Amino acid sequence: MIGFILKRLLQAAFVVVAVSLVVAVAIRMTGDPALMISQGATGITEADLQRIREGLGLNEPFIVQYLNSLAGLLTWSFGNSFVGGTPVNILISKALPATLMLAFTSLFLSIVISIPLGIRAAVSRGKWSDQLIRICSLVGLSFPNFWLATMFVLLFAVTLRWLPPSGMSGFESFIMPTLTMGVILTATNVRLVRTTMLETLNAQYIMVARAKGLSENKVLYKHALRNCAIPLITYFGLQFGGLLGGIVVIERVFNWPGMGTLAFDAVAARDYPVLQAVIMILSLMIVLVNLAVDIAYGLVDPRIRKE
Amino acid sequence: MSRTGFLKAGAASLLLAATAFTLPALADGKLVVSSPQDPGSWDPIDTFLVNWASAATNIFDGLTYRGPDMQIVPALAESWEELDDGKRIRFTLRQGVTFHNGEPFDAEAVKFTFDRLLGDDGAKGPQRSNYTSISQVEIVDDHTVDFHLGAPDPVLLTKLAGYGAMIVPPKYVSENTEEFFNLNPVGTGPFKFVSYEPKVSLKLEAFEDFWGDKARLSELEYRFITEPSTAVAELQAGRVDIVIPPTIPVSMVSTIEADANLELASVTSPTVWALRYNTRDGITADERVRKAMIMAVDRETIVQEILGGQAEVIATFQSKLSFGYDAEVKPLPYDPEGAKALLAEAGVQPGASVQIDVRGNDATFGEVAQAVAAYLSTVGINATIQPYELNTMLNDIIPQGKTGAMFQQGWGGWTFDYDNTAYAMYHTGEKWNPYDSDPELDALLESQRPLTDRAERERILKEIALYTAERALEMPLYNSNALYGINKRVKNFEPAPDNRLRLNAVEVE
Repeated sequence: MIGFILKRLLQAAFVVVAVSLVVAVAIRMTGDPALMISQGATGITEADLQRIREGLGLNEPFIVQYLNSLAGLLTWSFGNSFVGGTPVNILISKALPATLMLAFTSLFLSIVISIPLGIRAAVSRGKWSDQLIRICSLVGLSFPNFWLATMFVLLFAVTLRWLPPSGMSGFESFIMPTLTMGVILTATNVRLVRTTMLETLNAQYIMVARAKGLSENKVLYKHALRNCAIPLITYFGLQFGGLLGGIVVIERVFNWPGMGTLAFDAVAARDYPVLQAVIMILSLMIVLVNLAVDIAYGLVDPRIRKE
Repeated sequence: MSRTGFLKAGAASLLLAATAFTLPALADGKLVVSSPQDPGSWDPIDTFLVNWASAATNIFDGLTYRGPDMQIVPALAESWEELDDGKRIRFTLRQGVTFHNGEPFDAEAVKFTFDRLLGDDGAKGPQRSNYTSISQVEIVDDHTVDFHLGAPDPVLLTKLAGYGAMIVPPKYVSENTEEFFNLNPVGTGPFKFVSYEPKVSLKLEAFEDFWGDKARLSELEYRFITEPSTAVAELQAGRVDIVIPPTIPVSMVSTIEADANLELASVTSPTVWALRYNTRDGITADERVRKAMIMAVDRETIVQEILGGQAEVIATFQSKLSFGYDAEVKPLPYDPEGAKALLAEAGVQPGASVQIDVRGNDATFGEVAQAVAAYLSTVGINATIQPYELNTMLNDIIPQGKTGAMFQQGWGGWTFDYDNTAYAMYHTGEKWNPYDSDPELDALLESQRPLTDRAERERILKEIALYTAERALEMPLYNSNALYGINKRVKNFEPAPDNRLRLNAVEVE
């Protein structure tokens, strides 16, 4: 198990290096931050631009700049933002928790709704409740999340004024973004739970459990669900990674002060240090979540633990 | 009570309870402004973002001040006189002024500010290049300073009213780290700094010892909201009082006008838009073709139909508020027949094609470009529209001369001085002028720069504008208005054309 974890950690390091290298090269091909900063300045000369570049540390060779940013991951210091010079770790320390909280609440909401619904649909396969759940999930899947977000804002914030339209300011401010992300995740997850459950319910041990006279709830939640756990955990884990990416759009609509907002502004301003830090941290987290998923397999399935 | 009545009552009480619970209680005297961009630092020498000035004009003062009426008036300097043929300006400073931290304002603070701007600290930022006409600031006595200029700078008094020239407290700045001052600004303005959360908000409060008209609001908050629909939703929900430019697109004007609690303020801005020509290659190298293309496009209809009238057609590449604007110069008329004749004279065959480069993120201008293409097709020119990502377009396509026959350009300097535009657009070798080189125009542009005789300089600037119009160096389109969305509870708010807001007179009900 320890060897396995070490191997996966090494893979994780490789992924982070590869991703950050691609990002570092790509953003440098798209424009000069010194020009971005001096947009609108009159009479700016090449010498002025050169001074600004030096101030930003852009006169260093690329490999030095890149290694510095990579080393930042170990020392948790990513230099200063090109826009205003704020230390990047201050920006990250506010944005990362904001994004993680939103990702967790969304995923949690979706799991809490989709497991009972998915099981219900599987058990009553072909009956009206199954049909209804499947139709609802299809409708949910068909919503683009930014559209749904805008509709929620119009209804709950502008018309009814129950909830704040944007920003992160306490419990109420979580409701709309979580709901938006949650609805779309749930739509997918219900279908996934249903399919996985259907396969499991056909297994012989379920028949045995039922034959033993176990209550239906025990059969479903103790035997069937536990055996569904592997594909579900895999899927939810991967989904968490995807969620971190998908949250960018939602963050923008709800003006959520998270990693997506940081990344968005950093791309627009060619703010290399911020963008690189955001990408490195997000890719590291996605890799770690995948690792955690692998470890979780072992916990739910003793057969894998022994391997 | 009937069943539906009961349900209604229940829903109503739920709504009331929720409303009471969630509606933010705006304290008396607090104003919330939505600004589309967080400058990241409040240090005057660090940034060139207009939205820095939308907030920081409340914190800092310059030696001069220019408000929404565009007049230069005394601020931290009570008076000034030009000496040595404009190569020296003597400022008499206001007495009894203190910074928010209690430091006194005096000649030392002025010298410190400009030494810092023009020295190593300033060299790392974008502001320095605007003030390089100043060679040295000399302290005459505690309340008098002399600015020695390398060459006369006719725009200097305007430039001293904002941005890099804002006066900073010497002791506070030298005793703290650069980073600390970026995040904890101290000035002499009507509002003082309370707190700043990057990407979220800046909070200010009234400064009781302000030297001028004291703030009538007790609290002033700027929230950074980029997405226009989000900012307008906040405005409609009553959680934001003013949405400042550049946020509200023309397409959202009707939303604001339809809301009984809100009003729209639309003022002339410095920003002008044009489709500039590649004057070096292709059919647009011919002046007749360039003129014909202008005449083929009904710009007035574009402004009315696409921009909802929130703009004004221009004849030259400047706003009517700009120094150098000439009301006598009229836009070329919309005349498709005349355009066809000119094209025939220039030997352009029907079916000739041109490419129009636009910024991909600008939906409004995208529509304008489509309309231009449609008008051009009526005179036999096939235009294709090529969108580019904003930064690629500004930092690569235009400066490297990789554009099509026409390319979108927006411009507008807060100084409202035509030199700022004309020199950058038309002088040989400038970043924004990849194609044209005209010695006569270069000479005109250079000749006005050192003049301190305002009338003579204005005459030359007008001549330059006329010259560019006669050569048809661009298809001048329009001067867009700055759009402010305002809650009606806000009183005495005067929307500034340059978006530099000073809100000491503002009150809220």
